Amino acid sequence: MIEMKSKITVILLCLVLFSTKVYSQKPILFIGGTAHLGNGKVIKNSAVSINNGKFDIVADASLIRIDPSAFDTIHRIYDKHIYPAFIVPNTTLGITEISAVRATNDYNETGNINPNVRSQIAYNTDSKISKTIRSNGVLIAQVTPRGGRISGQSSIMYLDGWNWEDATLKADDGIHVNWPESYYETGWWANPGGIKENKSYSKQIDELTQLFNKAKAYSNGSNIIDLKMESMKGLFEGNKTLYVHCDYSGDMRDAIEFINNFNIEKKVIIGGEDALKIKDLIKKNNIPIILNRVHRLPDSQDNAIDAPFTQAYKLQKEGILFCLSYSGSMEAMGARNLPFTAGTTVAYGQEYEDAVKSITLNPAKILGIDDILGSVEKGKEATFFISTGDALDMKTNSIESAYIKGKSINLNNHQKDLFRMYNNR
Amino acid sequence: MSIRNYFILLFMIFHFVALLAQEGFQVNGVQNNFKPTFAFTNAYIVVSPEKVIEKGTLIIKGDRIISVDTTTLIPKDAIIIDLNGDYIYPSFIDLYSNYGLPKIEKKNNNYYSPQYESNKKGAYHWNQAIHPEINASSNFNTNKEERENYIKNGFGSVLTHFQDGIFRGTGTFVLLSDKSNQESMLEAKAATFYSFKKGVSTQKNPSSLMGSIALIRQSLLDAEWYETQKEQTNLSYYSYNNTNDLPKVFSVTDVLDYQRVHKIADEFEIEFIIKGNGKEYSRIQEVINTSSPVIIPINFPNPYDVSNPEATEWISLSKLKDWETSPFNPVILANNNIEFCITSSDLKNENDFFKNLKLAIKKGLKKSDALASLTINPAKIVNLDSEIGVLEVGKIANFFIASNDVFENGIIYENWIAGEKNIITKKSLIDIRGYYTLNSTEFKNELVKITGKKENPELIIYSLDSLPLISKIVGSNINISLKNGSFRATGKYYNNETIKGRYQNIDGAFYNFIMIKDSTIEEKESAFSLEIENNIPAIWTPNKSYGFNKNKPIPESVLFKNATVWTNEKEGVLLNTDVIISNGKIIAIGTLLNPFNYFKEGEFKTIDASTMHLTCGIIDEHSHIAISRGVNEGTQAVSAEVRIGDVINPTDHNIYRQLAGGTVAAQLLHGSANPIGGQSAIIKFRWGQSAEEMKIKNADEFIKFALGENVKQSNWGDQERVRFPQTRMGVEQIFYDAFYRALEYEKSWIEYNKLPIKKKRITPPPREDLELNALVEILNSERFITCHSYVQSEINMLMHVADSMGFKINTFTHILEGYKVAKKMKEHGAGGSTFSDWWAYKFEVNDAIPHNATLLNNNEVLTAINSDDAEMGRRLNQEAAKAIKYGGTSEEDAWKMVTLNPAKLLHLDDRMGSIKVGKDADIVLWTENPLSVYSKVIQTYVDGKLLFDIKKDLELRQRDLKERMRIIQLISEDKTSKNKKQPKPEKEKLYHCDDRDEE
Repeated sequence: MIEMKSKITVILLCLVLFSTKVYSQKPILFIGGTAHLGNGKVIKNSAVSINNGKFDIVADASLIRIDPSAFDTIHRIYDKHIYPAFIVPNTTLGITEISAVRATNDYNETGNINPNVRSQIAYNTDSKISKTIRSNGVLIAQVTPRGGRISGQSSIMYLDGWNWEDATLKADDGIHVNWPESYYETGWWANPGGIKENKSYSKQIDELTQLFNKAKAYSNGSNIIDLKMESMKGLFEGNKTLYVHCDYSGDMRDAIEFINNFNIEKKVIIGGEDALKIKDLIKKNNIPIILNRVHRLPDSQDNAIDAPFTQAYKLQKEGILFCLSYSGSMEAMGARNLPFTAGTTVAYGQEYEDAVKSITLNPAKILGIDDILGSVEKGKEATFFISTGDALDMKTNSIESAYIKGKSINLNNHQKDLFRMYNNR
Repeated sequence: MSIRNYFILLFMIFHFVALLAQEGFQVNGVQNNFKPTFAFTNAYIVVSPEKVIEKGTLIIKGDRIISVDTTTLIPKDAIIIDLNGDYIYPSFIDLYSNYGLPKIEKKNNNYYSPQYESNKKGAYHWNQAIHPEINASSNFNTNKEERENYIKNGFGSVLTHFQDGIFRGTGTFVLLSDKSNQESMLEAKAATFYSFKKGVSTQKNPSSLMGSIALIRQSLLDAEWYETQKEQTNLSYYSYNNTNDLPKVFSVTDVLDYQRVHKIADEFEIEFIIKGNGKEYSRIQEVINTSSPVIIPINFPNPYDVSNPEATEWISLSKLKDWETSPFNPVILANNNIEFCITSSDLKNENDFFKNLKLAIKKGLKKSDALASLTINPAKIVNLDSEIGVLEVGKIANFFIASNDVFENGIIYENWIAGEKNIITKKSLIDIRGYYTLNSTEFKNELVKITGKKENPELIIYSLDSLPLISKIVGSNINISLKNGSFRATGKYYNNETIKGRYQNIDGAFYNFIMIKDSTIEEKESAFSLEIENNIPAIWTPNKSYGFNKNKPIPESVLFKNATVWTNEKEGVLLNTDVIISNGKIIAIGTLLNPFNYFKEGEFKTIDASTMHLTCGIIDEHSHIAISRGVNEGTQAVSAEVRIGDVINPTDHNIYRQLAGGTVAAQLLHGSANPIGGQSAIIKFRWGQSAEEMKIKNADEFIKFALGENVKQSNWGDQERVRFPQTRMGVEQIFYDAFYRALEYEKSWIEYNKLPIKKKRITPPPREDLELNALVEILNSERFITCHSYVQSEINMLMHVADSMGFKINTFTHILEGYKVAKKMKEHGAGGSTFSDWWAYKFEVNDAIPHNATLLNNNEVLTAINSDDAEMGRRLNQEAAKAIKYGGTSEEDAWKMVTLNPAKLLHLDDRMGSIKVGKDADIVLWTENPLSVYSKVIQTYVDGKLLFDIKKDLELRQRDLKERMRIIQLISEDKTSKNKKQPKPEKEKLYHCDDRDEE
């Protein structure tokens, strides 16, 4: 058993090595573009350089002196925009290809408690879908399993790579718990039913509590390997995030109490439909939220018709850390619309740069990768893109070039190929 | 009573004795032939809703009433019952019952495969849910327990039927007596029954409301046709035709169904009696329009538990309003002169009947109307008013005796049915309460007090330390025992003053005792007073959040000044332009328009639109919102007979949400579960109006076709491998088969219509087939196709089918591989209505590309972008903008894809789809370029009516919150029911093409 443990360690070490592999690049300068830094700031006439896969100069071009000979290439991008990579959290992108074809779906393992399963190794770098997502500016995804009480572990992946190893940004970043629902939907997609009270709600919380008690005890030292327990260790050691999926205010209260009882250091609520109702509790406990898709209907016939559109702005005003997601039906192929959902929040009150932040630095912070990327800042990884127009507006979003770790990526995709082929027919 | 009357009375007594002999029965033992005469004297007789005899005598003989009068002349052989002022009412009649019938249970369909055909034996209708041949009378059996539940609420007779299926068969009218089935049955077949619910039928069809409606239509036609043909025997049609003259009762579960039944009634000249769901108040005009008598339940909703403010938010305002208004439903019907009956059906607990009835009275229902709704109205409906319903000579002796006015605080003592007494509440004649002096060997002059209720007295002996209880009083016999058993007595009450008896002490010894009454206790019962609260709450249209209060919007006269106008005409986008609308039309476009050329001062409003963009409304070529109970009738490969137009739901709040996104009209399509689906409805989102009013008048007729994975059931699970077709090969054959059948059908009609008049008169017409009618319309270009399609092979195939049969495919919808066959589409003349960027959700959309709209458009295919989704339908402007992003379509062309182009595809461009003088005033004002993600709708006008306004929307939210809080306050104060309903979240039913929920 001890042998096995060390094997796991070796694997983990390998992953770290792979993921920190740096592409050798000569310095490149982008000058004249509007740089949306992702941290809420914007530089209108910017100078942004990248060196060795990282941002170097990030400045107002009119305020600094630039030596052109220091750069291999200078891109003049006047009237264009620079954005840090858009990040789509909580998605099945890369582990599903065609929803209706079961063979292509790798996100829902059988069984109820699967903390040990890892999306990372199922991630398909050659997904036709992901190529269409990155060409809209979304370059990073938190690839997340679904189903059961504990779906498994997500990993944060670049939408580029020869294999899952080099596509990995952060492996096994957290464990996803589907909080028991006090009320649940019945029926199935073709024949939806009503909502029923969950009579087993407290029993299910008890079961979850027991499981966590066990896992906590295990994390204090065990001489046998239990894969499930092993996978949950990080939650108590502070190196894995607990992602709790829940929406109703009552459920969220219970979930927060649970998180506090177990002293979980890294915690995130996913969904949070009722977040505004318990905003004080969220603030007090400093729990970030990954929101449901902005482009959704209000949760009731009485609710304000624009409630889903204004939620981001209202949370921003409260100072709650949140980010947008595109989870829900058709989440994988729809992830390319993530920028436009941020655009919608602008129409409903959000400041533009804050909207950019809600799909860049905020998700990076929430996913625990903001030390690596998330904003256009000196020293951060040069994972970003240039759009000829405003990237949050579908009318103008047009990604001219994109870079992952300083390396330019191919923005072609299956759909563009077909377009060219039939357009030139 | 005069001598003459007396003789008439004698004659009648004789007459009825003859009638009453138990003829036709074998009797075990000696017959009971003597039917006594009963005279109920000193009664307050409620003869009928209009007539009361304050102090009268009711005389019955056998099962008939022989006198109702103020007479004191009573036949000698009569048994006299002095009612001492008690009330007599005619017993109630319930027309909607399943009394005495076997329970209907759905058989577990153990088949692994779905059942598409009837598995019923015998020569009956092809659909198991159509069974007019079933007679309640053949299965009726008196049932003691069910009977008691009715009679304790004053009912004396019911019309009972099998509450199952669409054509349910006949109901039988029975008296609630405990006599034999034969004697209880007053009319074996009193009415026939119908509904939209297929019930326990295990057959797949129909799975939707529109499928039920189509099935009803076709069955009514076939029943007529059956009479003209000799080729087949069908016991269902035979039975239907034989019972055609009976009253027809149609049971509905949704107030929107009134309009649906009304349409069928008009079409087939049938007069239905409609059994409603108690929500008639919410759409009263549609109920009035049916001019049908209605049968309503009084199952008023219980109040909600509103103690948890968060959970209370889950209760929709419409439910809160319904809680408040439902008890007013009967009085609202009465106020609108609708003839109605009240049924006790649908109540969860039969004890709620009187509680709710009294609540309805409290809410303003007149007692006479209440009584009529339970007696004479139902009797008239089943044509039995000559037998029952009022207390008149010759009528059946069905009446009940009550302590007082039953609509106030009266309680029913006895319910006499067909002249036989049933005790409901024992009229406690003896009141033993008072102060007594107790004497026995042990007790000397002890003071005793008997208090409590008359029926349930409590006894206190002051010298004993604990309270004795009277455990039982039966007649004048009383048992008294102490709680600890140390004193156990039995006694009898004599002459209104003394209780004598024996008791046993703890040692087992018996002693005699005597208690002499010293005085009675003054009864302090508060007098009952009926307080009428007849302030009917405001009913909105629709009666929910964002509904209209009282004033429905009217077409406005507006001058929009200095707008950026997207004309969609050759003028393109005009800057600083004025637009004037009036009477629902655009009447002027230009710069610096002088409104006084069009209006007088004060007749119009001016909107400064200098920062705004003005466009025509968005039209969604493909939507499934605003549809009731099922979007697919996918239980057959061809369902051309079903009509979305039958099932429009004008109360869907998504209508308001679409308006807020600038969408003003949509084609509501059948789903894509079968190759030939149903007929579309093309509507404007006229929020606040009825289903019929939403339809666009004189719009061309459309129908949905579908191809590919959905119709071959690829993604329905492994058990769904039965229905033809299962491959694209089979899909083609379905079309050819359908259209060849249609050609043959058309030919038979042409030949029939060509016959010389004389010959025609003697030749039976061909059978009318609604499915084939629709297909013939397609062949004759009188009905147009919108076809759900994805891959190029199938698109190509359908164009071949159409070309070879001589018609056109109007629109391919979804058409995600349309770009591969754009030239062929152009050649054929088909348009395309596509998703902007959906793909990868199934195998057949693997080659779907977001450049599709652009490529189609570039190939001069008329191209639209649609939603197929309630959420996307409210931001189609954004979807159009994606054509700019992906394909490089111009802004104006992209905008046309959600406005003018869908108008053209729907053949509505003569009145909609652009800003042009003479077109409908469907106007949207935007904060900026409507194709921008940052653009918001400021106002939406439909036919010149302002149906969405961003400022008014905020006011409505405040109004709705106020209304919500007002009703929550009322619920908090409500004491009528301890049974509080727990709130829970509500889920919206949202339809897409492939949703197949069951009706």
